[in-house]
Amino acid sequence: MIVIENLKKSFGDHLVLNGINETINKGEKVVVIGPSGSGKSTFLRCLNLLEVPDEGTIWFEGNNITDKKTDINLIRRKMGMVFQQFNLFPHLSVMENITLAPVKLGIMTKEKAGQKAVELLARIGLSDKADAYPNQLSGGQKQRIAIIRALAMNPDVMLFDEPTSALDPEMVGEVLDLMVQLADEGMTMVVVTHEMRFAKKVATRVLFMDEGRIVEQNTPDALFENPTHPRLKEFLSKIL
Amino acid sequence: MNIVTGWFTEIYNSFYRAIVPDRRYLAYLNGIKVTLLISFFAILLGIAIGVIVAVVKVTAKESRMKWLKAICDLYITVIRGTPLMVQLLIIYNLIFTSRNTSEIAVGAICFGINSGAYVAEIIRAGIDSIDRGQMEAGRSLGLNYMQTMRLIIMPQAIKNILPALGNEFITLIKETSVASVIAVTEVTKAAQYIGSRTYDVLPPLIIAAACYLIMVVGLSKLLGNIERRMARSDRN
Repeated sequence: MIVIENLKKSFGDHLVLNGINETINKGEKVVVIGPSGSGKSTFLRCLNLLEVPDEGTIWFEGNNITDKKTDINLIRRKMGMVFQQFNLFPHLSVMENITLAPVKLGIMTKEKAGQKAVELLARIGLSDKADAYPNQLSGGQKQRIAIIRALAMNPDVMLFDEPTSALDPEMVGEVLDLMVQLADEGMTMVVVTHEMRFAKKVATRVLFMDEGRIVEQNTPDALFENPTHPRLKEFLSKIL
Repeated sequence: MNIVTGWFTEIYNSFYRAIVPDRRYLAYLNGIKVTLLISFFAILLGIAIGVIVAVVKVTAKESRMKWLKAICDLYITVIRGTPLMVQLLIIYNLIFTSRNTSEIAVGAICFGINSGAYVAEIIRAGIDSIDRGQMEAGRSLGLNYMQTMRLIIMPQAIKNILPALGNEFITLIKETSVASVIAVTEVTKAAQYIGSRTYDVLPPLIIAAACYLIMVVGLSKLLGNIERRMARSDRN
């Protein structure tokens, strides 16, 4: 579904991604871990071209999205993204946040999008917040709404960029629960996170990144129990 | 006692002379109309120019449209670096040499071009004040750059800069008084004209000042209302 070939990206003199080759198949739940500064967020943001790679090719559902001729806006409709800082639109109500893109892009009528939003809100138990504004919500509520805002576009893959890192500890659970549900429904997911419990529970594959490369990858059980690379051993010893 | 009464009578008479005979009040009303029309169209033109220049400046930062940004920078530098009255005289003599051009159009275009430079800088600051994540969130949903600008960035930016924008409009209304130098009969010119007829310049000018005050207070009220309405999403 996503094929990444020789991906390179630098900010100024600093080489952030140093040649990444990876294939992510439909239905996979790939969790990316690594120390800060290892390039994992940049890697994720390259997948929908929020960061433009310096070198390399990314294929999504058979389209070369790094090709200038590809309309990235059409590609992004199929790639939902969830941010660390939620990035809800503060000037719009929850309902408008969810329906804005589908309606303005002409994918759904206003009624249909509204219906879909009502269903999604009911699913996360926040039906009563449809007319609330983002700054009336808790962090966990904001992030769950950010997730269903992305889901409202019916994406084929969901990208999560440290979705729980900006949350108070007691709100992490509600967001992770929703992500586990999504995973169980078969959504293809790429998740950058520090939540090892989530990785163990949900991931079909865990990638460990260090200094702009994927240095080791395996199923979560194998990766956490039998790490081989010294950097991974060091990293795990610090966090587990 | 008699002195004070006489004094008041004299003031009353001079204001009476400045307003009533020859239906002079009509001159003020017409002046107010011209001032308001010039201000209104200048504000519209200023916003249009301001939005375009601000968006070009923000957009052209990284792209190949650098020369467009250079033009915008030049425009802002020249407009902000030269006196309004000089700009007015230059534009008037440069473009509107024909005698039968509408004075309102002349004024609106001159003040609109001038105001656009200030509005552009205000809007640019407003756009810069919006978190980068807002643009990223919009783009990640498949909206293109301009859609995200229009639907997500601009509404928030405008809300943030409304007080500064209001200030600019208030300044603009008052600055239209400069248009009297190109023989536009707005409020100030009307007052001067009446003063020259009654040989008593002060009362008409005070009346003109009161006219500006009323217009500005009215505009402030209007802007206050808009600000309150836009603050809806700030409820906690």
